[in-house]
Amino acid sequence: MTLRKLSALALLVLLLTGMLAACAPKEEAGPVTIQVYYPVAVDAPIAAIFDGYIEKFQEQNPNITVEAVYSGGYGDVKTAIQTTIDGGGEPPALAVMLATDLYDLVNAGYILALDDYIAADEDGAAYMQDFIASFMENSHYDGKTWSIPFQRSAVLMYYNADFFAEAGLEPPDSWAAWGEAGQALTQKDSDEVTRWGIEFPSGWPYWLFQPLAIGNGQNIIGEGDAEVYFDDPKVIEAVQFYIDLSEKYGAMAAGVQSIWGQAPTDLASGQTAMIVHSSGSLNTLLEQADFEVGVMPLPGKTAGTYASVPGGGNLYLFDNIDKVKQDAAWKFIRFLSEPERAADFSIQSGYFASCKGAYETEVMKAYMADNPQVAQARAALDVAGAEFSVQNLGEVRGIFHNYLQQAYNGELSAAEAMAAAQAEADAAMEAFK
Amino acid sequence: MSNKFRIRAGKLAVSFLTLGLSLLWLTPVFWTLIASLRPADDPLGRGNVWFGYTLTLANYWRAWSMAPFGEYYLNTVSLVLMILGVQLVTVTIAAFAFTYYQFKGKKALFFFILLQMMIPTSALLAPNFSTISKLGLFDTILAIGIPYFGSAFGTFLLRQAFLEVPRDLVDAGTIDGCSWWQLLWHIYLPPSLPTLIAFGLSSVIWHWNEFLWPLIVTNSPNSRPLTTGLVRFTQLGEIGAQWSLLTAATLLVVGPLFIIFLIFQRRFIQSFVHSGLK
Amino acid sequence: MEKETARSRIDRYLPYLLVLPTFAFVSLFTVWPTLSALYRSFFQQRLNIAKFRTPTFIGLGNYADIFSDPHFHRVLGNTLFYIIGTVPLSILLGFLFAMLVNRKVRNVGLARLAFFHTTILPMVSAATVWMFFFTPGYGLFNTALAALGYSGPQNWTGSPDLALLAVMIVAIWKNAGYYMIFYLAGLQNLPTPLYEAAGLDGANWWQKIWSLTLPLLRRTTLFITTIAFIDAFRTIDHIFVLTSGGPSEASTVLLYYLWQKRFEQLDIGLSSALTVILILVLLVFTITNFRVSEKGEEDV
Repeated sequence: MTLRKLSALALLVLLLTGMLAACAPKEEAGPVTIQVYYPVAVDAPIAAIFDGYIEKFQEQNPNITVEAVYSGGYGDVKTAIQTTIDGGGEPPALAVMLATDLYDLVNAGYILALDDYIAADEDGAAYMQDFIASFMENSHYDGKTWSIPFQRSAVLMYYNADFFAEAGLEPPDSWAAWGEAGQALTQKDSDEVTRWGIEFPSGWPYWLFQPLAIGNGQNIIGEGDAEVYFDDPKVIEAVQFYIDLSEKYGAMAAGVQSIWGQAPTDLASGQTAMIVHSSGSLNTLLEQADFEVGVMPLPGKTAGTYASVPGGGNLYLFDNIDKVKQDAAWKFIRFLSEPERAADFSIQSGYFASCKGAYETEVMKAYMADNPQVAQARAALDVAGAEFSVQNLGEVRGIFHNYLQQAYNGELSAAEAMAAAQAEADAAMEAFK
Repeated sequence: MSNKFRIRAGKLAVSFLTLGLSLLWLTPVFWTLIASLRPADDPLGRGNVWFGYTLTLANYWRAWSMAPFGEYYLNTVSLVLMILGVQLVTVTIAAFAFTYYQFKGKKALFFFILLQMMIPTSALLAPNFSTISKLGLFDTILAIGIPYFGSAFGTFLLRQAFLEVPRDLVDAGTIDGCSWWQLLWHIYLPPSLPTLIAFGLSSVIWHWNEFLWPLIVTNSPNSRPLTTGLVRFTQLGEIGAQWSLLTAATLLVVGPLFIIFLIFQRRFIQSFVHSGLK
Repeated sequence: MEKETARSRIDRYLPYLLVLPTFAFVSLFTVWPTLSALYRSFFQQRLNIAKFRTPTFIGLGNYADIFSDPHFHRVLGNTLFYIIGTVPLSILLGFLFAMLVNRKVRNVGLARLAFFHTTILPMVSAATVWMFFFTPGYGLFNTALAALGYSGPQNWTGSPDLALLAVMIVAIWKNAGYYMIFYLAGLQNLPTPLYEAAGLDGANWWQKIWSLTLPLLRRTTLFITTIAFIDAFRTIDHIFVLTSGGPSEASTVLLYYLWQKRFEQLDIGLSSALTVILILVLLVFTITNFRVSEKGEEDV
């Protein structure tokens, strides 16, 4: 009896607390409040870094309040924004989303072209000029500029320099040298591999594959927004090279490798001599590895050529919100891409600084002098092609992944797979031709 | 004699099987605990997947500092208690109606409510978001909870329990002139209390761990629950997996649930004894 | 006399009033959105193609597209395989666990916790931990299998033959303990002498389970089957973490496919049609199941 009364009472109290907490009034804000949707991952303490910038920005602009909303990964941010707009809600003023989302966001009418803002700023032209060229590849569409690079990365090859030195090998400068180095560095205990030459993740394969195609002189996309070159002989050859790394050289495990999460750890713990991964993992690798970590772009097919591809997120300004908010958001964009801030962001987070000016700052110069790998990573951007972005990207990328993985897993030959991918992709982009 | 021996051997075998399977089932969580105590700069590798060179609590501090977990805890606690509080009421009265009364359309209504069990909320995000924003609830704890205020699962479960209450007892109460709520309170609820507790724990576990919907209908730390902090660790992003941080954050988030379960464990399982499921 | 009428009038409306709150919340947050999905499923609307941004009525066009799409057939096949592979096995394990922990022995509470704790863990975290377990070469799952003499392929999340299996293993591990709870309840409710007769003694153990325990637990089994079936359709977090539906769609199940259409490809019409199909499948199954389980009962 007492127990029952007690639980009833407890229930009532709990119910009330719940209701109270739910109904707590929201804080009143200053004249303009803008929201920034920001994807977070385990990368660096990005949230803390970003909150620091917001504080500084608000000091400089007391009438603007910036609220950062950290909503899971890139996918979650996109989902949240789509749901908000589709459900009749107000989008945030600003969001960091994938650079490759460009066409979808423009076609859906979600984002605002930045040209008026750029033109209105006295130094607008110079501001745009300063961004690293390969980071601007996915910002233009329909003769307009739609996004500002911010949290950017690139595909790199990391290697264990100690293993290379032990084996008397130089870092590879061509596909053949790469395969052979991988072969030489693979170690076996009777039949079981105890150390791979190369780990090359392919669970979400287009991004890491692109440098192979670019390194053979043919990117998988062209100049047009509905143009892909999946069945180009050079692309097919690049697919074949990935397969050869395991089949011909035995330098890598066979088939699709869903090892994005493990690869950096594997390099750090000596399970593999080389990995292909994002520049974003550099800081952790340097922290974990007790050997010299080598950093370079991916070797191209012919000796002395290299390739990479950029990745990561850009800042997008949303349409259909108050102009005051858009103005404030643009101010914040400009604030974030000041060279000093870009340099600081790069040093703290491990992402690239988006503009050339940042690399001219004293802090950045000093940092690069202390960490030569950062400069080596930066150099990869000079040989980077454009990241895969076309109209109807979700579907076309799905098609490419589907067939690329079939080729990797030996279900289809490289040529068959890419021919099928090309045909399906062309059909999926029919509406844009 | 040999029969007795066989029984004893059989019991021993069952005990060993239980032990073996328990350990097997627990392996991931054992590993999670150990990995959370491993220094972040000690990478996992072949033959070195359990203990690192030393044990450390640093991952917990770091995870704690990477998101406003304190606030999130309060929000999650308010959220699950709010949902539970409302559900207990709605579920009890609905289950009572479905058990005690005969009324037109009863069967149809019951199936209508059961629809909720079948429909994945993740398929209906946009229309629900729209409802929430029309109700002016965006970015409140109420917004996260309100879609769950009615519970088909709870109604179903509790109805099963109510059906177990002897009809004689109910009839006696009716003849004595009990009002409906007296019947419910004095005759139906007491034997079903364990079922309510069981349902409560299910509800708490479920809503404690939900993350996509809260991520979409809230955007400030005032209203966001724990799981929105957890996603900061489950997203690999551009970097490799940070096992030590992920495992520490996971245990931070579910720790209280383990404790709740340990406290209610006996009750939770025994409670089903009376819940009338058979 | 007057009082009597008043009371009977109240009694007439009261049941509806009592059901009303639940009815209202279910209507507002489940049924209305479902109807809105049904409505939108008759329109072509693709947000990422400017000319298809505004909805155009196309009747059953989306459904026709879906059923003629070979990818959809593949996805259906995967879903079916996933259900056939996870539902019976996790129920069976749930039953086994319940039998094992439904004893009066020391530390049985700990064993219950061991089997049940997976229900408490968030799927995203659990799946990420399993991602490590599946690592070829030194992942614990592979190490354990090797210790048992397994020498087959280890590329659990990358091989087209294994990826679906990998996500299924995680689902079974995660869910079996939840179903155990319901069996445990059912077992403890069995008449004691009968239950003891069906206990763990001697050669006829299996026969007794088969001819006594299982028939008595028929309703529990049907209830669990329903929950398990619904769960199998609703949970995709582990697929996101472990395989992203790959390689080459090998682990793409219906809800994941719907998700891709809706949020990666921004195809509102098609994804609404998929939602309707998903709900219809669940509805048909659940109603059949309840029909069977409620048969022969006087109530409802």
